[in-house]
Amino acid sequence: MGSLDAATLAKLAGVKLRARAVMEGVLSGLHKSPHQGQSVEFSEHKEYAPGDELRHLDWKAFGKFDRYYVKRYEHETNLKATLVVDASGSMGYRSGPLSKLEVAATLAGTLAYLLVRQQDAVGVSVITRAGAADVPPRAAAGHLHTVLAALDGLQPAGGTDLHATAEHLAERVRRGQLVMVFSDLFDDRDEALTRILALRARRNDLAIFHVLDPAELEFPFDDPTLFLSLEDERKVEVNAREIRESYLEEFRAFLERTRAACAEADVDYALVRTDEPLDAVLLRFLGRRQRRAA
Amino acid sequence: MTFGQPWLLLGALAGLIPLAVHLFDRRKPRPHPFAAIAFVLRSQRRTASRLKLKRILLYTLRTLILLAIPLALARPELRRPGAAVSRAVGPAATVVVVDRGLAMRWVDGQSLFERARSEARSAVATLGPEDPVTVLPCGPEVTPPTAPGLDRGEAREVLERMRPAWSTADLGRCFDIAARALEESPTPGKRIIVVSAFTAGSLRLETPLPTLRGPNDRRVRPEMVLRDVARGHKVLSNHFIAEVKAEPAPQAGARAIQVGFTVRNVSDTPAQEIQATVELGGRVVGKTFLTLTPGGTAQKTLTVRSEVGGPVTGAVTLSPDGLAEDDRRDFVVQVPRELRALVVNGEPNPVRYRDEVFFLEAALTAPSSPIRPVVKDASAGLREPLEGYDVVVLANVPAPVPEEVARLKAFVERGGGLFISMGDKVEPEAWNARMGELLPRPLRVVKAAGSEAGAGDGRQAKLGDVRWADPLFAPFSGRGREGLMGARFQRYMLVEGGAKSEGGEVLAAFDDGAPAFLTVRRGRGRVLLFTSTLDRDWSDFAIRTSYLPLMQRAAAWLAGALDERETLEGRVGQTLTMRPDPQAQVASVKSPSGAAVAIRSEPDRGLEVGPLPEPGLYRTYDATGQLLPASQFPVTLDPADSDLTRLDEGQLQAYFGEEAVRGPGGTADRRVPIWTWLVVTAAMAFFAEGLLLRKP
Repeated sequence: MGSLDAATLAKLAGVKLRARAVMEGVLSGLHKSPHQGQSVEFSEHKEYAPGDELRHLDWKAFGKFDRYYVKRYEHETNLKATLVVDASGSMGYRSGPLSKLEVAATLAGTLAYLLVRQQDAVGVSVITRAGAADVPPRAAAGHLHTVLAALDGLQPAGGTDLHATAEHLAERVRRGQLVMVFSDLFDDRDEALTRILALRARRNDLAIFHVLDPAELEFPFDDPTLFLSLEDERKVEVNAREIRESYLEEFRAFLERTRAACAEADVDYALVRTDEPLDAVLLRFLGRRQRRAA
Repeated sequence: MTFGQPWLLLGALAGLIPLAVHLFDRRKPRPHPFAAIAFVLRSQRRTASRLKLKRILLYTLRTLILLAIPLALARPELRRPGAAVSRAVGPAATVVVVDRGLAMRWVDGQSLFERARSEARSAVATLGPEDPVTVLPCGPEVTPPTAPGLDRGEAREVLERMRPAWSTADLGRCFDIAARALEESPTPGKRIIVVSAFTAGSLRLETPLPTLRGPNDRRVRPEMVLRDVARGHKVLSNHFIAEVKAEPAPQAGARAIQVGFTVRNVSDTPAQEIQATVELGGRVVGKTFLTLTPGGTAQKTLTVRSEVGGPVTGAVTLSPDGLAEDDRRDFVVQVPRELRALVVNGEPNPVRYRDEVFFLEAALTAPSSPIRPVVKDASAGLREPLEGYDVVVLANVPAPVPEEVARLKAFVERGGGLFISMGDKVEPEAWNARMGELLPRPLRVVKAAGSEAGAGDGRQAKLGDVRWADPLFAPFSGRGREGLMGARFQRYMLVEGGAKSEGGEVLAAFDDGAPAFLTVRRGRGRVLLFTSTLDRDWSDFAIRTSYLPLMQRAAAWLAGALDERETLEGRVGQTLTMRPDPQAQVASVKSPSGAAVAIRSEPDRGLEVGPLPEPGLYRTYDATGQLLPASQFPVTLDPADSDLTRLDEGQLQAYFGEEAVRGPGGTADRRVPIWTWLVVTAAMAFFAEGLLLRKP
């Protein structure tokens, strides 16, 4: 199965279908990858005995101890992941078939599929104007339905408050958990992103999916336009052509700051355009994580 | 500052367009909900002041473009008080070319010619003391001027002697001659001052400006200084008579003349109710009114009656305008005069149609005939005093007695015409004996060529060889000629010799070669012999359609009224070749103003007259100073010279270049065109606007 473009994906109703479709694309991509692996964790060494798989021989241990040891893995892990989806008003923007929120929910749903498939615990936290709606991480197969239901039918509303989101996650997420944030990160306060990234300091594995619309990245407007805020009452009338250069300059600086902050905090950062195939986004993301784990 | 096209300044209102667009074309912005509005707000705050400055600059540049273009099209010029040109550029040899062409006769309070003379005086006076000068009066003929000198008196004297011409001046040729004169001066600076009304006819724009040999033998162009004496007149309005055609109108009665004339209006305004009068012999005989559209032409024809016959002089005159000289045209027309003819009837008959002259009398008294016949029998007619008659017709008359012959001979030699026709009463021997000196040839015998019934002794005769080119037969063509040739002659008188023999001229002969019409000059008169009868006794000619016109024409021809003279009309400045009546010895020709005109005899009896100095009626005189009315001729202006359309300032500047200094009448102000700078400004503003638009 090939990659699904945004237009095709938009025709699929509900996060469940979209996530499943993307997941199949991801799995198909994984098969083709030379980096086959599983998200099982290393448990212990045992001395080699005939009949053991040679590919599990630990050559480093052989070099160190001059004896053959075989790596043993825990098939049942205690990996817990929390998918944090920003459902603020700005996430409702779309210039193409999918809004940023729909893309974020689809990505989160797909990852939930993948995690549950390898028997990891997955939970979801949807950040809205009213507060956070949490589904705690669980590894049960039936839990996937709960997670997908939480992601389905999200309505964007309210302002982006990364500061509150960070505090909420600090309270609810245990140390060592994997936290994946899906947001446009549009928060006027400079320290907001820093607060999110502080989760990394709590030994949480953190991944940021920066979901942006192509129009936000390219600003393709020409005529005099009255821009209206999606989160509050702000509006501004400008000749778009006249401020385009300045806007792009500002936006590039914002992206650079975000990337730099993530890199400094050793946080996975993925820029997601709403018009690109999501399976490709996830494959890129998983490949990068695998390289980091190796 | 002055403007060449001031009405184009209205276009400067276009400068308000950017303001109007700014005020009224405020397009409603398209609302667009946008997530990254914070970045838009920050960008807007960052760029606001720069964009405001850019908008103001764009508004200013666009207004400048829209103002500069109409201002440039209006051709603005700065007027700077001018010092004399010579002082501005150092000593310069100067030729003052003064237009003295026909257009300079145009009057608007003062004639342009007088204004030009005054301008030329002023130009000479404003030259520097070291500027050599000469004056070149420029007319249709140009005499090379003396070399430029420092004697101002000589220049002023030339100006005083100068007179306006009757044709358009050739300024281009005058420039060439002026350039040659400048080459003779060692002064390095060269200048031509042109004083003219600058009509289109005086300057051919396709001919290049003159150049002259400068230092190092390089061709240089002299400085051109233009002085327009018709400044302020966009056009020199003029209506004029372009053509006059006067000719006899016999259908309208005796001595009737049809005078047709064409009038043109060269102006940008209509010519209302122009009065046109026709004069004959100095008396007004017709009057009409014309209205002409701008640039329009009108034709009128008036039928008038002359009191006298013969050559009549007349004129068509329009109510005068700025150029009165072309509002009158003289003409000369040959009016058929009334002729008195004595018809001597040799064989009267109580039965009218059997009378010898029944058909002749009917022909000569037809309504359009200028001939008044008096019919007498032979005994009375031959004794009748002949002084009051132009023509005598002897129709089948017995030979006159010697006294009668003497009177007839004297009559013919004085210029009278004698028409002799044959019949049974004519005895050849007696006629030859008594009338031999008048007859073209001696008579022989009567020849019978057949009977009218066709049962006679042979075929009836017809006319065979006719001199159609002779004035007597010239009008017969087509069916008229067929009618003449169809006449049948049963009898006719033979004369000595054949058609080619000596003695008289045979104008027509029968098909057997025997002469039918013979003529001979005796003294100043003519004798015409018709060898058959004027009634139906010897032929059926009398009942042919050609009989009436031929008889009328024969009478007029004998009286000298048909003598063909060229309709002469000369043009001013040209030479005319006239061919006067051999009897009229032209000894001198005088112009309308009474000046003698040069004449030269040519080998072919022609007389070359001219050059003709002025328009009007030219009179000819014999050696005794007697007026020869038949040789008078009119001389007219060339209608093309009456078109006084002026070259506009743009054309003059394109021809002479913007460097040509243009001085208004009486001053030497220098006018500096600034429209080019405006165009450059507009172009630069346009370029700057493009740059601003390209830059975000």
